[in-house]
Amino acid sequence: MKLMGIIFSNIYDSTLGELTNHRTVASLPFGGRYRQIDFVLSNMSNSGIYNVGLITKYNYRSLMDHLGSAADWDLRRKNEGLVILPPFASGHTGVYKGKLEALYSAVSFIDNPLYDYVVVCDSTVLCNLDFRPAIENHIKSGADVTVISNREPGNTKKHPLIVYADKKGRAQTLLLDSPAEENAYVGMGMFIIKRELLVAALEESHAKGQVHFEKDYLQKYFNDGKLKISVYEFKGTVLRNENIKSYYANNMALLQEKIRSGLFGKNPIYTKVRDEMPSFYSENSVVSNSLLADGCDLYGEVYDSILFRDVTVNEGAVIKGCIVMQGTRIGKNAKLECVILDKNVTVTEGAELKGTPEHPVIVKKGETV
Amino acid sequence: MLFRKKECVAMILAGGQGSRLVVLTENTAKPAVPYGGKYRLIDFPLSNCVNSGIDTVGILTQYQPLQLNEYIGNGMPWGLNSTNGGIHVLSPYSKSESSEWYKGTANAIFQNISFLERYNPDNVLILSGDHIYKMDYSKMLYEHVKKKADCTIAVLDVPLEEASRFGIMNTNSSGRIIEFEEKPKEPKSTKASMGIYIFKWNILKKYLILDNEDPTSSNDFGKNIIPKLIEDNHKLFAYSFEGYWKDVGTIDSLWQSNMDMLSNDGSFDLFDGDKKIYSRNYAHPSTFIAKGAKIVNSYIAEGSTVYGNVYNSIISTGCTVGKNAEISNSFIMPNSQIGRNSVIKYAIIGEDSVVNANARIGDLPEFYDKSKWGIAVVGKDKVVPQNKILLPKEIF
Repeated sequence: MKLMGIIFSNIYDSTLGELTNHRTVASLPFGGRYRQIDFVLSNMSNSGIYNVGLITKYNYRSLMDHLGSAADWDLRRKNEGLVILPPFASGHTGVYKGKLEALYSAVSFIDNPLYDYVVVCDSTVLCNLDFRPAIENHIKSGADVTVISNREPGNTKKHPLIVYADKKGRAQTLLLDSPAEENAYVGMGMFIIKRELLVAALEESHAKGQVHFEKDYLQKYFNDGKLKISVYEFKGTVLRNENIKSYYANNMALLQEKIRSGLFGKNPIYTKVRDEMPSFYSENSVVSNSLLADGCDLYGEVYDSILFRDVTVNEGAVIKGCIVMQGTRIGKNAKLECVILDKNVTVTEGAELKGTPEHPVIVKKGETV
Repeated sequence: MLFRKKECVAMILAGGQGSRLVVLTENTAKPAVPYGGKYRLIDFPLSNCVNSGIDTVGILTQYQPLQLNEYIGNGMPWGLNSTNGGIHVLSPYSKSESSEWYKGTANAIFQNISFLERYNPDNVLILSGDHIYKMDYSKMLYEHVKKKADCTIAVLDVPLEEASRFGIMNTNSSGRIIEFEEKPKEPKSTKASMGIYIFKWNILKKYLILDNEDPTSSNDFGKNIIPKLIEDNHKLFAYSFEGYWKDVGTIDSLWQSNMDMLSNDGSFDLFDGDKKIYSRNYAHPSTFIAKGAKIVNSYIAEGSTVYGNVYNSIISTGCTVGKNAEISNSFIMPNSQIGRNSVIKYAIIGEDSVVNANARIGDLPEFYDKSKWGIAVVGKDKVVPQNKILLPKEIF
């Protein structure tokens, strides 16, 4: 029994605003040294899924730059490995609108008789998940599709996919863009499906002009009684970065020991190696409750913040509740609170910016403020 | 098989057992000893090679090579996983007529003549695996070729009072070496050999073979090969290097060199410029600094968690510093756990060690007689029990 992986790199691009103007959500920096895609790629690699197709639509230069040969995830391999699937992969399809269409454009990659199952994943749901028990569960359940999901007790927000299931995990109701009630399984944007079944569904949906995976395939076929769906409950830490607010909140959540160990405690999460030296904390620096990557130079004060690689905080600067991406320089005596500073931003001496956790201020890549 | 000819191949002498660092190297060769938070000694010559455009490197090792081999792997972290050239770990092996260990630095190269012949290099660069410095070898090679030298030796200007600890090169006005003195009592110059040599390969090969035939030779570059070349009137030149350089073969020098990273007088230049020092990186998450932690003039590498206080110290990847622990003027090697309320002063804590709560390790030099004070050391994979007191100079 062999598995292949498919990852979407552009889903939710539009809801993350300025942060995804020049990159895919997959390459959005997260948690001090990672890009979002590191989580799903590491999960696949750690679960022995070595044949991985990455579907991209646009803005994928930064993603390709990050991935390189994929050796950092152990996905540069002789016979398998990471394959980037840009649009136009199969000549007669244009830039796709939905996941189903996107998958169809990659059908020649997917339809490989060496593989029995396909694991289809978004890159915005971050977790440390072993796919192997999920696959076992899928085979045992006899279902056509397994929706990997978790429980979100007390969270009544709308979610893209909600499943209500019986005690054996067999789906009874499938809802899209609905609030999670008690007993709801919240889809994590990860599905397991038999390759032959997926390929047949893709051919059919292409003929009918259907584009959306969840709506036109999962929900429709399920409601028509043509698809047996079961859920696999993942019990670990799950962070969903669906919009700026949740992106900010999830970064800040990493300051909690429980969340950190839930996300990093089990299997290693790999990322691109940059060979920065360790971070330097000067005589007068103050750092409190913060997460810092290598290569930072700290002379000012940092509270409750996430600092990526190669960030400089100069004397007298005070940053609080900020996400500071790679290569950003913060000038002397600047005061920043609840600000997301994209890569290579320059904050001039004495500048002041203040946002709120609900509406953090965003400074775009390369800007000077 | 065809091998593309190389202008220069580097050979790193990494065989040393590091007897003076034995507590830290129990299961490792000396070049795998950690340094500076996320590096190992071998990273420096390897990174220098890559940054100087040298893509073929042999590492000569014979003592506990397992961890070093694992660390080097296919050379990818240094970009040395190339098809033509790349990195080769060269251990002694049995030949049809004989089998022997590397008897000395020159003998190690002698036993690998066939390796070098495959690349048919014009020049061979000989390096040592336990020196900390950043150097562009291509500039030295340029001088070597320009002067049509048979051998060029990198030298460092050392203070006269320290010169008697080094191999000293006496040169004429054009920089040609006319005399070599190993640890002279009355040094005539302050040009100390850094153990970095570039030889014309055909000359070196000839002398390696001659040296091997001499039963009285100790098969050493400094003691035998270099003096013989001078004696035979070959062209040897000194190449002056300016910058930070440290032999870290002892506990004190290893500690001192880590502390040098923290000096702000500009003498420590290893991380200046765009050329990086590369190392094998492990998948550690970012460093977490808790509320109430205090960090002053220190380097903290990725993957650490700090609750306590750190002053003038280097904390390596994967370490944990417990609540109210106090670390000052110390070097903590990777993946060590420092328990609550423990106090560590002027110490080295070895890799993967655990210091349990309330331990006291090392102390300030002010309170001790000079002869009784030294760096306190906890070895590799050690567990220091609660409340343990380790005096300066003691080794656990």
